[in-house]
Amino acid sequence: MNAHRLSGVAALVSAGWLASGAVASIGADEPTRKNFVSCPIVRDTASVPCWLTEYEGETYFLTLQTDVSAPVTPPWLGHQVLVEGVVSSEPRICGGVVLKPVHLSVLPERDASCSTILPAEDRYNLTFEPPRPPGPSKGRLAFDNRTPAAPPPAVNELTKEFDIQYDFDRLVGFSHAGALSQILNFAREVNAREIEIVGHRGAVLLSNGRTMVEEPTIGKQRAEQVSMLLQGANLKEPSYKVRWLDEPAKATGVDDYLSRRVVVTVRR
Amino acid sequence: MTHPHNRRRTITSLVLFGCTSLALATVTAQSGSPRSWWSPGQGTPLANLSTYDNERGQLGVLNASGQLETKGHPFFEPIGSNGRACVTCHQPADAMSLSVRSIRERWAASGGKDPLFAAVDGTNCPNLPPDDPRSHSLLLERGLIRVSLPWPPRRPDGTQIDPEFTIEVVRDPSGCNMDAVYGMTSANPSISVFRRPRPVANTKYTTHQNFGVSPFIGKNGMPAATDPLTGKPTSMNLMSDARAPTLAVQAEDAARSHLQIAGSLSAAQIARIVEFERQVYVAQVASTTAGSLVEADGPPAFGPRNLEAGDAGVLGNNTTRYVFPLGGKWAHMPHTNDEGENARGAARESIARGHDVFMFRTFWIKDSMHLNSVGLGNPTKRTCATCHGMHMTGMDTANGWMDIGTTNLPWASEVPLNPWNEAKPQMPLFRVTCKPTVKEHPFLGRVIYTQDPGRALISGQCNDVGTIVMQQFRGLSARAPYFSNGSAATLRELVDFYDRRYTIGYSEQEKQDLVNFLGAL
Repeated sequence: MNAHRLSGVAALVSAGWLASGAVASIGADEPTRKNFVSCPIVRDTASVPCWLTEYEGETYFLTLQTDVSAPVTPPWLGHQVLVEGVVSSEPRICGGVVLKPVHLSVLPERDASCSTILPAEDRYNLTFEPPRPPGPSKGRLAFDNRTPAAPPPAVNELTKEFDIQYDFDRLVGFSHAGALSQILNFAREVNAREIEIVGHRGAVLLSNGRTMVEEPTIGKQRAEQVSMLLQGANLKEPSYKVRWLDEPAKATGVDDYLSRRVVVTVRR
Repeated sequence: MTHPHNRRRTITSLVLFGCTSLALATVTAQSGSPRSWWSPGQGTPLANLSTYDNERGQLGVLNASGQLETKGHPFFEPIGSNGRACVTCHQPADAMSLSVRSIRERWAASGGKDPLFAAVDGTNCPNLPPDDPRSHSLLLERGLIRVSLPWPPRRPDGTQIDPEFTIEVVRDPSGCNMDAVYGMTSANPSISVFRRPRPVANTKYTTHQNFGVSPFIGKNGMPAATDPLTGKPTSMNLMSDARAPTLAVQAEDAARSHLQIAGSLSAAQIARIVEFERQVYVAQVASTTAGSLVEADGPPAFGPRNLEAGDAGVLGNNTTRYVFPLGGKWAHMPHTNDEGENARGAARESIARGHDVFMFRTFWIKDSMHLNSVGLGNPTKRTCATCHGMHMTGMDTANGWMDIGTTNLPWASEVPLNPWNEAKPQMPLFRVTCKPTVKEHPFLGRVIYTQDPGRALISGQCNDVGTIVMQQFRGLSARAPYFSNGSAATLRELVDFYDRRYTIGYSEQEKQDLVNFLGAL
């Protein structure tokens, strides 16, 4: 993906953004989804900062600063963020409409225009205690939903499938250590004979009707990297079947983040 | 201690921990006294507990297993071909590291003949004239040892890594990176960088197997380096570039590169070196202004015995355990009619305030690789203890290499170039270009200028350029200068670097308190 991808229609189409007449359809009982790319904004508070963004004249709340245990971690200034969220009925936080659940992908290209840090204002201070203060914790992580230890394999468990999720156009990062460890531990427990890795290329239907497609070789890159990492962790005994899908997943605007994945099947 | 030139003094635990006035008197008496130097093969025992003077007070060195006979011990004997021993660069008086003050004193005392100044890495480049102090300027002025690393990098099994970036030499003051014998175009292409020796002490913390150690690194998902003997993942926090996963591997690497040993260390030698390193603890025990740091009812953060007793590899960035637990001591000292007592109380209050600055003073941390990129967001409003979070040492519990700008431009210290300044840059400068096949560095872009690519010279990864493993905070008063490239001559310069890098805006009082706190560790 190049830096021009977000700046004009021609560039968008040529570099992977596909114009589409389809817009995420929203039925009467369907939640209101907002899928878009924008600059993140940091708003300071008397406690932890809020992460916000603006889209079509509205301010949205993305997440709070907490710690590495958070299911949604804050984006980065200096980069645009792909937001895939559902409009919540919760009260606004820091002045923003709450998107929940929300999936955030920091886009790889740098964008110096994403630089807004807003000062704290009393009217935007949090009305609740954040999961974690901005400094030292109270002796626990903010969330206890880190990747749980995999249960020991059942005696007759011959095959297990693992799903690794990715941010848009990204490879393995800080959040994948737990998932990779689960695969490694299971493969060792069952003396795995074969590991099949399938890399996928995702696509997102944005709220403006455009489809945003991951870079063409991302499925290959993901699959080969997972293979390399598992073998780099000395899991060399099993045979590896590594393949990928170059064709992007069909974007629907609903949970498209699930299409950015690698599926690892471990067989005894 | 019987060596006539060694000012090391053995005192009993009772005196050290129970008799403040005596400890204070000792500090006063020894203030400004010559530094001790432990020569290879001097053969004197290293006592159970020793103290060494420094400008801020006294350092304590604890052999937890009791007095060590150094005669014949491979850490203390010149087992290599150049007359050095491990102790040459890991001096007890310098917190098992090496201060630039000791280096200069050694140059003066030996006329530059001490094995410390061996051509292999005690010069800016081995091809320079050995008797000229200018050949050793990086060692004499910034305490830097030359580290020559193969390029492209190699895996532990010797296979070559295809790096994600190309590297060019922009500036080569030592001449070593462009040298036909030692440089990047030599028969064994190598890159020379210049780094400070790290303290070989408190190693149960630097090699812990606890929180944050897993098969895949929690900051980038890459496989962690494993212990070749056990196959277990390591914390990779021993060296500035994490190239040696264990004390044994580091000993072998150092014997080969720094001691120029013929062949390799024997298994018995490695075992003795590691055994020694696993039980030696260092920390400041007395302050010239705050008095004893290790009174029986004093803060449990200080002194080597508290380090020996502490839990290794646990997170202290919380208000239940604390990174450096003061136990509520010293925040408010009683005022008396004794001016000396009040001055000491004021110094202790400053240390306590400095602790609170370290632990609770928030600021915006921005654009630091492996810090802002690991789920905290960019920027993140946090404190010093966020990264320096390991209980008792202030290291990272997880794999701790980060780019805070000590070696990467634009933040690295550079000589101001202008017609009125005769000083010339001494550090090399490299231009790193991330290949088109990889994503650019998220904060620095595709082209990065750096004095030392750090971890990237081992991993070959673009995102690792300029990342350096953070080190422990212990014995700081005994081992200036600071940072891996010795760019902060004093603790004040260290604090000023952070203040500038992250636009913190510390007050003068905060800076002084932070310096006093760090100096007491």
